[in-house]
Amino acid sequence: MKASAPIAPSSIWPEAPADSPSGLARSQHKSPGETAAGRRAVTERASKAWTPKRGQPDREPGLKRANFGRGVGLPTLLLLPQVLILVFFFFIPSLRALTQSVLLSDPFGTTVHFVWFDNFKALFANGEYRQSLVTTVWFTVAQNVITLAIAVVLAFATDRVVRARSVYRTLILLPYAIAPAIAGILWAFLFNPVVGPLAHMLHALGISWDPNRNPNDALWLVIMAASWKHICYDYIFLVVGLLAVPVSLMEAAAVDGAGPIRRFFLIALPMLGPTIFFLAVMNFIYGFFETFAIIDAVTHGGPAGATNILVYKVFVDGFINLDLGSSAAQSVLLMTFALICTLLQFRYFDHKVNYGV
Amino acid sequence: MKKMAFIAALFGVLALAAPAQAARVEVQWWHAMSGVLGERLNELVEKFNASQDKYTVVAVAKGNYDEVTNGVIAAYRAKRPPEMVQIAERGYMTMLLSGAVVPVQELLDQKGYKVDFSDFVKPVASFWSYKGRMSAMPFNSSTPIFWYNKDHFQKAGFDKPAATWQELEKQLYAIKAKGVSECGTVLPGDFFWSLLENYSAINNQPYGTLANGFDGLGTEFVYNKTKVVSQVARLKKWLDDGVMQIAGQGFSPEQLFTSGRCSTFVNSTASHGNIERNAKINWSATFLPHESDINPPLNSTIGGGAIWVMKGHTPERYDAVAAFLDFVAQAETQVWWHGVTGYVPATNKAYAMARERGYYKDHPTREIAVLQLSRGTPNDNSRGFRFGNFVQTMLAQRSEVEAVFTGQKQPQQAMDDAVKRGNEILRQFEKLNAGKGTEWSPEAK
Amino acid sequence: MVERAPILDMICHAILIAGAMLVCVPLYFAFVAGSLTIAEVQKVPLPWLPGDQFLANLQTAWVKADFSRSFLNSIVVALGITAGKIVVSLLSAFAITYFRFRYRMLAFWLIFMSLMLPIEVRIVPTFEAVANAALPLQWLADMLHVVDLWKWISGHDVTIALEWNMVNTYPGLILPLIASATATFLFRQFFLTVPDELCEAARLDGASPLRFFWSILLPLSVSNIVALAIILFLFGWNQYLWPLLFTTDKDMATAVIALKNLIPRADSEPAWNIAMSGALLAMLPPTLVILLLQRWFLKGLVDSSK
Repeated sequence: MKASAPIAPSSIWPEAPADSPSGLARSQHKSPGETAAGRRAVTERASKAWTPKRGQPDREPGLKRANFGRGVGLPTLLLLPQVLILVFFFFIPSLRALTQSVLLSDPFGTTVHFVWFDNFKALFANGEYRQSLVTTVWFTVAQNVITLAIAVVLAFATDRVVRARSVYRTLILLPYAIAPAIAGILWAFLFNPVVGPLAHMLHALGISWDPNRNPNDALWLVIMAASWKHICYDYIFLVVGLLAVPVSLMEAAAVDGAGPIRRFFLIALPMLGPTIFFLAVMNFIYGFFETFAIIDAVTHGGPAGATNILVYKVFVDGFINLDLGSSAAQSVLLMTFALICTLLQFRYFDHKVNYGV
Repeated sequence: MKKMAFIAALFGVLALAAPAQAARVEVQWWHAMSGVLGERLNELVEKFNASQDKYTVVAVAKGNYDEVTNGVIAAYRAKRPPEMVQIAERGYMTMLLSGAVVPVQELLDQKGYKVDFSDFVKPVASFWSYKGRMSAMPFNSSTPIFWYNKDHFQKAGFDKPAATWQELEKQLYAIKAKGVSECGTVLPGDFFWSLLENYSAINNQPYGTLANGFDGLGTEFVYNKTKVVSQVARLKKWLDDGVMQIAGQGFSPEQLFTSGRCSTFVNSTASHGNIERNAKINWSATFLPHESDINPPLNSTIGGGAIWVMKGHTPERYDAVAAFLDFVAQAETQVWWHGVTGYVPATNKAYAMARERGYYKDHPTREIAVLQLSRGTPNDNSRGFRFGNFVQTMLAQRSEVEAVFTGQKQPQQAMDDAVKRGNEILRQFEKLNAGKGTEWSPEAK
Repeated sequence: MVERAPILDMICHAILIAGAMLVCVPLYFAFVAGSLTIAEVQKVPLPWLPGDQFLANLQTAWVKADFSRSFLNSIVVALGITAGKIVVSLLSAFAITYFRFRYRMLAFWLIFMSLMLPIEVRIVPTFEAVANAALPLQWLADMLHVVDLWKWISGHDVTIALEWNMVNTYPGLILPLIASATATFLFRQFFLTVPDELCEAARLDGASPLRFFWSILLPLSVSNIVALAIILFLFGWNQYLWPLLFTTDKDMATAVIALKNLIPRADSEPAWNIAMSGALLAMLPPTLVILLLQRWFLKGLVDSSK
């Protein structure tokens, strides 16, 4: 929570370049090899339709150029429900949870010692914690890339096909409908080296697969399981985003001779920039914070801590070991770390994303 | 001075608003039993509710043991705890020193119930009592026993499993070599309990100093200097040679045994309920093996849960709680529970009653656990384990043993590290709880 | 489609079929396990073909888990979370993208931070917060010494005991789960892509901000709302830990809690056949929601490509 204090609008974003190019224009810069007139035609068409007037000095990140001006009353009123719920059910409980990080307390709260930063010091001195940090980075990056890549391919394919489209959509969305506990159990079962049908297939292919005794196998297993559960999330927003790509633009590009795949990369994908940015951030947050149920069901963080990512460790230390102080200290570090990563993501990508379509 | 109170009940229901005509006092019992065991527990509660007309116990399933524990912590901190809660054996010290519970024996004495606490089976009584007084009501107690596939042993030319680990090892290797079954045994999911802790008790090995923690919070783990190290090395060797399999996540290790794939299985006696009904193999069970140089072996220790009574309720509700706990302790209830689950009867009287009725003639393997628990006189190494944060130290130990299984560490190194980690955790518990527990002494009353 | 590309279409179908398989294989095994007897389900390896107990197991699971009651609870909770989150998020996203006010970025980041501490990690204080939502007001009253003030004014001793207990109520189940930023962030991203001309035109016509929001922004957002509604409904449906720790009344149990009670734990009979039947049953309402809401995708398309 304290980390929020220094966050002021100006410190996050240096003045966004007033003439920051739109995604479409950027894609033109990025591919000097292609100089087809068709692409320019597309860009111009897009410009004629909607490109906002640029060079306004008062442009702020994340604010519509055409807005309803200054004034605090109405926006405050609009924000009020969200803020009230957050204050009561998020910020107050979270603050109380995080104050545990400087305390040594028994779970029932009968004895409480103030210990300054002992809990943090203990973590930094702990090799297990450092191992967990490394595992988390691997896990999150791999999970993010795999999820997004597969979701993009599936969404593209869904957009292309006509027949059975809604059947595909329904099926691909189903993993989100399965209770995480069951999903974890099913994955653990399918890839169980002793009885799992898919593990047997791997063995038949000559792959020695044993997540119980091979740390790498275990890490791959949880990456795949976590991705599997999350692909549908990315997928549905990409499908919706693709629906919104104006047909006129696609047709124009087709007339100019761009094939379906090139059109996808040239027009659809840049237009999906805001969605993809949203998904990249959400995947990151999912991997960082929401995956412990799957880890718990699939590997218990093992073997020997190989899949013990930070949030699972927070969960185990707090929920199972009842070591509230250490768990809270880990939460503070995890939040700080995640907040820095997210700020960087916003800092480097948000104003490059093409919102101006 | 005049006293006034403004109470603003903005929203929600008041728990106190009981229906006027029903004079029954309602109390809650949060528990961790799911599936068939959950159904049995509900039957038990219904039996109690039907047996009298003053009290109603409401059993609420609150997930697994960890979830129940967290549920009760959250509820207690929010000042609305249940009257009773079922907590696993590893949570003993946490509950005992929480300052949030009412001692069971005090409560029953005070309410005038004559429960014979001296009649409880020794390892059960010693585990759940502090300074000679029962702190929680033993409910579901189990102990690991040795299950085996009779046909496999016969095919390999053996009558039954050997009594010592050394001889058993030869048998299991022979079973594997003769191709009788794919694997000699399965690594239990709770191997730390059955194959390390109970192993230490049976083989008279100290697990920690100060009588495994019974003599004070200053206890330290010492299992890196005992036979536990060679036990871990043995398990690793069996795994490498394919004599033992890890079931892993996704299905229960028990299935490797009940399906006839593996020949033996160390598991809780509570598996009886399932194995009797559903295993299609010719199975039997016997005592856990012991080391050849340890004779006679000592008793095993218990696992499972007990019912704790929470502070902060009205006397009427404690009347209901006491009546229910008395009901649970009765031999008749114990025998029934023993029969429909696989847990052991907690009192000698219940055991004798089951015996008299010829129960063990039909179910000979059900007696093993009781006999194993009550053989000899428990000493400092076999009375039980009294370590604070026992879940946390166990998870650290499990992780280190896994490092042996994955080949990252040698057994001695791993156990040294486990003890080091465990002791840090114990010191933290000591720091937090030093001087607590005095209210449990009988003389404090 | 703009042109015909049969080979690409075939590849697309192949990709989608592969994707669907990836989903269906685990579900198929859940179905197989759900159709066996308890003895069969313990076999190693599990049979590849289903048994004949499917309907019987479904029925057992339905009765044992008391799904008729818990489904209702889950539907209320999931709908409450979906509706609540969408409404508060639409409003706040509108505020932070369409208005210039001093604490705009601060508000955004405060909302955003709520993604970074899952409820499982702050469950004990959240429980306290919901067991007595008036607690913060009580602190405020204590801090401001309202009691002493009153005593000084009136000469009476009073105690202020504020209580707002939401344990075992639907709002108590729903509100803490609404407190997160996912949806706000999504709508922010979407609003930023809405053509500026629309807002300019609305302003020229003298439309108020709320009018613009209601008549222009909302209809444009339909497909995003639908996608989000599907996601949020499933999210709400699958909530486990919070409803479990929070409800102490059997009548308030949700479907996933009921389902978890079917899943065998140590010492219990491994009745995976019943558990898996229960899992399939518990998937039905979410599946139905996916099917029904999909029809609205096209509506969004028509509106937004105008």
